[in-house]
Amino acid sequence: MSPLFLFLSFVALLSALGVVLAKNPVHSVLFLILTFFTLSGHYLLLNAQFLAAVNIIVYAGAIMVLFLFVIMFLNLNEETEPHKPALAKFAAAIAGGSLLLILVAAMRNVNPVGYDPTSFDSQIGMVDRLGLVLFQQYALPFELASILLLAAMVGSVMLGKRETGERNF
Amino acid sequence: MTSIILLSIFGILNLFMGFMRSNKVLLPGAMLLLLAVFGANLADWNVVHAPYFNNMLVVDNYTVAFTGIVVLTTIVLLPFSRSYVVAGETNLAEYYALLLFSLVGAVMMIGYNHLIMLFVGIEILSISMYVLAGSSKRDSRSNEAALKYFLMGAFATGILLFGIALLYGATGTFVLSDLAGAVAAPENASLQPMLYIGILMMIIGIGFKVSAAPFHFWTPDVYEGTPTFFTAFMSTVVKTAGFAAFLKLLAVALPGAQGFWLPTIQAMCALTLLLGNVGAAVQTSTKRMLAYSSVSHAGYLLIGLVASRGNLTGDAASGIFFYSLAYSIATIAAFGVLKLVADHRQRDDYAALNGLGKTNPLLAFSMTVAMLSLAGIPLTGGFFGKFFLLAAAAGQGYIGLVVFAVIMSMVGLYYYLRPLIAMYLRPAEEGATPVPVDGIQTATLALLALLSIVLGIVPGFLSGIL
Repeated sequence: MSPLFLFLSFVALLSALGVVLAKNPVHSVLFLILTFFTLSGHYLLLNAQFLAAVNIIVYAGAIMVLFLFVIMFLNLNEETEPHKPALAKFAAAIAGGSLLLILVAAMRNVNPVGYDPTSFDSQIGMVDRLGLVLFQQYALPFELASILLLAAMVGSVMLGKRETGERNF
Repeated sequence: MTSIILLSIFGILNLFMGFMRSNKVLLPGAMLLLLAVFGANLADWNVVHAPYFNNMLVVDNYTVAFTGIVVLTTIVLLPFSRSYVVAGETNLAEYYALLLFSLVGAVMMIGYNHLIMLFVGIEILSISMYVLAGSSKRDSRSNEAALKYFLMGAFATGILLFGIALLYGATGTFVLSDLAGAVAAPENASLQPMLYIGILMMIIGIGFKVSAAPFHFWTPDVYEGTPTFFTAFMSTVVKTAGFAAFLKLLAVALPGAQGFWLPTIQAMCALTLLLGNVGAAVQTSTKRMLAYSSVSHAGYLLIGLVASRGNLTGDAASGIFFYSLAYSIATIAAFGVLKLVADHRQRDDYAALNGLGKTNPLLAFSMTVAMLSLAGIPLTGGFFGKFFLLAAAAGQGYIGLVVFAVIMSMVGLYYYLRPLIAMYLRPAEEGATPVPVDGIQTATLALLALLSIVLGIVPGFLSGIL
């Protein structure tokens, strides 16, 4: 395990915990950005350069702006945060803890097969390779994902549209 | 494949039909389009197709049979949207388009041969459902249902995706047939725990979508808040497609890990039967009762998964097909009558049905057949559905599970008879007027009752076809 991997993992775990534990929603979002950047670092280590770039552009860029926009739009802060009952926190901690325990216990002895450095293709994560796979092997799910986006778009327009007789803000 | 293409095109066509600003053409238009899809789908029966697009999709008799159920269910459901047409609902074209798009997702879930197709299919179906659950924008219960369904559904999707990723990590493939080989004879034995956790998480994710206990908690609230027309779609099409996907996953990809998932599914099955039936017995609202009853029917279908033991053909698979069909027909009729009555009388508890036998004999009869079919009384399709599934399970030696299921279906009798008591034995309110029903709804209800009875008298022509 390279020191870089260990460092990235450490920061990723720490900032992910920060997302959950931070009291201030804006701090949560900032921690989330940090998590995304460390994940992009992991993608780079895995030779997935395109994925790393897209992860930063889409998640750390677009999605984060959306999060921040919603938080500011709804004016969420520590005072307005709804009080969660202790029982729910306790149950969530137990459930999450059990999942963690099971995952760690199960994965402890997993020994994945590494790659062969002599025959490894360093171009594997490049965008042209990805394009070839996406438009040849995965052509059908790629096209059908457009139905997914269209359904989401129709739905959001339908729900967000002003009805006759409704007033704007 | 033809049905996916047609449904996608027709969905877009439906959106354009919305420009005409006339709701009158939309309903017959959508029904005709769906009839075309139904015909095109049946044309593939017994035709051998090579897998489409590098093993992405398989169209065999299994796919054709379950696609037939979901398309037919939608066709017979559509007439109950008449109240939207009459009320001049401005979003009707979008509703129909979303239903057609969600059918694309359902067909993908049925015919998938690659886990990414399963995932995209589940997402198309779910996202359309989240939107339709909240389609009654001014009703706070509908808003609550949509938000609840969306948040929990998104979480379940995450778990499903995590499971798929772990499964890929352990086997190195997404294609079902390759997965079967990699699961049965793993190259690297130390990856086995990863495989098991992956399977478990996929079971959780799909179990949530078909509302199997202990992942059913969202069902009553969401079903109750969602407009009844869409609740009917949710409890039939989503469940049928979900179980078709579930069976295919377990039977094609994971027979090698049967020793691992079989006890899990058995436990889920017993728990679902118990919680669904006991939950339904204590409800006071007809709609909530039907929601819990849909949970309990997920339990009966899980018996089919247990009995299938990794076979996509044979008694158990045919049983699941027959049960899904009988259940869908009866559920559409029940929700259809409930919608008509609730629209007219503005309530949906048992008392809303009071005296329906006097004021609307046809509605009452249709509801009666539906309830008897759901309860599994002989001479209705539901009886043979249960019979085939339980016989398949008994044939595999799961006697304990079968006995438990029979006891639970007796509990079922208690709550399925309550609407009948209300309709025939309780007097209607003072001055109750008959519920208005128009021609096409009458015809559909009669057809549904007839289908239920035909399936219960001559089940032979549809049993054992898989």
